[in-house]
Amino acid sequence: MNLPPFSVGPAGATRETNIEIQTLAALHMPVTTAPEPPQYDRVKSAAERAAIDASCRGPVLFFASSAVFWLLTGSMLALLASVKLHIPYFFTGSAELTFGRVRMAHLQAVGIGWASLASVSACLWLMCRLSRAELIYPKMLYLAGVLWNIGVFLAVVGIILGDGQSVEWLDAPPYAPPFFVAALGIVSAWTVAVFRRRREPHVYVTQWYLLGAVFWFPWLYLVAQFMIFWSPAVGVVQPIVNWWFGHNVLGLWFTPVALGSAYYLIPKIIGRPIHSYYLSIIGFWSLALFYSWAGMHHLIGGPIPAWLATASTVGSMMMFIPVLAVAINHHMTLLGHFHRLRYSPALRFTVFGAISYTLVSFQGSLMALKDVSATTHFTHYIVAHAHLGAYAFVSMIMFGLFYYMVPRLTGREWPNRTLIRIHFWCAAVGITTYFVALSIGGWWQGRMMNNPDIPFAKIVAYLLPHWLTRSLAGLLLTTGHVAFAISFVMNLAGWGKQRSGGPTFFVESVEQKTYPPP
Amino acid sequence: MTAVDIALFATVIGSIVLFGGAAALALGWAFRDGQFDNFDRGAKSIFSPDEPIGEATDAFPGMPPRLRKTPRPGEPTAV
Repeated sequence: MNLPPFSVGPAGATRETNIEIQTLAALHMPVTTAPEPPQYDRVKSAAERAAIDASCRGPVLFFASSAVFWLLTGSMLALLASVKLHIPYFFTGSAELTFGRVRMAHLQAVGIGWASLASVSACLWLMCRLSRAELIYPKMLYLAGVLWNIGVFLAVVGIILGDGQSVEWLDAPPYAPPFFVAALGIVSAWTVAVFRRRREPHVYVTQWYLLGAVFWFPWLYLVAQFMIFWSPAVGVVQPIVNWWFGHNVLGLWFTPVALGSAYYLIPKIIGRPIHSYYLSIIGFWSLALFYSWAGMHHLIGGPIPAWLATASTVGSMMMFIPVLAVAINHHMTLLGHFHRLRYSPALRFTVFGAISYTLVSFQGSLMALKDVSATTHFTHYIVAHAHLGAYAFVSMIMFGLFYYMVPRLTGREWPNRTLIRIHFWCAAVGITTYFVALSIGGWWQGRMMNNPDIPFAKIVAYLLPHWLTRSLAGLLLTTGHVAFAISFVMNLAGWGKQRSGGPTFFVESVEQKTYPPP
Repeated sequence: MTAVDIALFATVIGSIVLFGGAAALALGWAFRDGQFDNFDRGAKSIFSPDEPIGEATDAFPGMPPRLRKTPRPGEPTAV
């Protein structure tokens, strides 16, 4: 960016640089730095990381590319489903495109497709980097990627053709899960294998989260498949298992990967260690202890044993511990560095996601209270909450990770900063609009549904503008996804500027200057 | 009790034992291995000589390297 330099600061510096320097000078704060590490160490360290990145480049980019493809597919399906709510005759002639099928296909495309494949690429790349170990036998991971994609394809197409199963989050047809299970087994084994080959003796908190995720998710998936489909449990045990899985897939698969990414990206990007490492460890272990209790709050008011719902409410309340630990840690780490949000795309997305984690978790805990649930259950308030978690928290952090990870793997800069800005603002404004519109609409929907004097048709009419707003928000989100996909493809195609310092980018020495107070 | 019931019970009980046991084993290993002995070192383990504490490592494409520099925690920055 060639903006005219200000009078203070080195010649040729940009406006942002000079504003920083002027601010520090005005505060009588010299811009001083600690001694630089020897150049030899810098080069050696950069070379080691470059070798690690090179070892996992192919499989990680394969999973990442697949994730982006399913994000676009899922977005189109979501738009279609959303429009059908306020224009009910939209594509009515097609059985394949009825709301029930399209919404289920959307969930599989974005849940098992986009978010899970992005999580796998995060697991592999972060584990290699943090373990300081190269990936071995990458061809097996290509196989896992192919299997996973076949599974998602069968799930989405199978549901569209009418083979879906009416179990939330497990609605893929019976011929799809074996592909997921095989792929997941390989991914988990490889993540653990990298960890076992680690050269870094310390297990960073991100690694704890990743190890937890690759252990918990296959276990959850297998048990849920077994107890619901392969050897079905009887009666209410089925919805109990369903929501034990449905809730835990968010909290013990997506959440640990996303939080692990944030715990790596935020300190790494701003160049400052986590505020309280102790608190981060507390956060991980309390998540491991309490999260799996919380799933039954989805069945409050349902025909399940009262103690089960109550235990889940208690578990949900206990989730305040890990959430507060993470919120305090992220906020305090960033304190004094918020201006970096202007300069770093990865930080921008990641911090948006981290703030959303606090919001969605607090909201989720409160929604587990029976009085709140009496209003919000079976309304669009739940849909808003789900998207706050899956999109504003998980997806935004995954976007942040991609913006950080992909250039380091391809060795090329992002081609266009405008596309990144379009993506961020479309995503941020889109999901905020989505959340606000459906939360307000859903809350009043619940209040009206609890009043037997209000006819159902009147409630539907009340919701129409909220559904329309949701479609507009979805359009914004999809626009952002298209901008992101264009950036991604351009980067992979080598259209971005080659990084000056090689794939690690920051091997060149950074200028040191001391500016005296005026 | 049918064979299916027994299989389901075995799954539930086995899962509880596997899940709880794995967590207990991992926690025990971490204590024995000294993972919780030095939190300061742990927090700094993601930094390296070429990406040290005090250097930001991400910027929009085209931004200059100087934007990456931030004062390091603990160093005297105020007069």
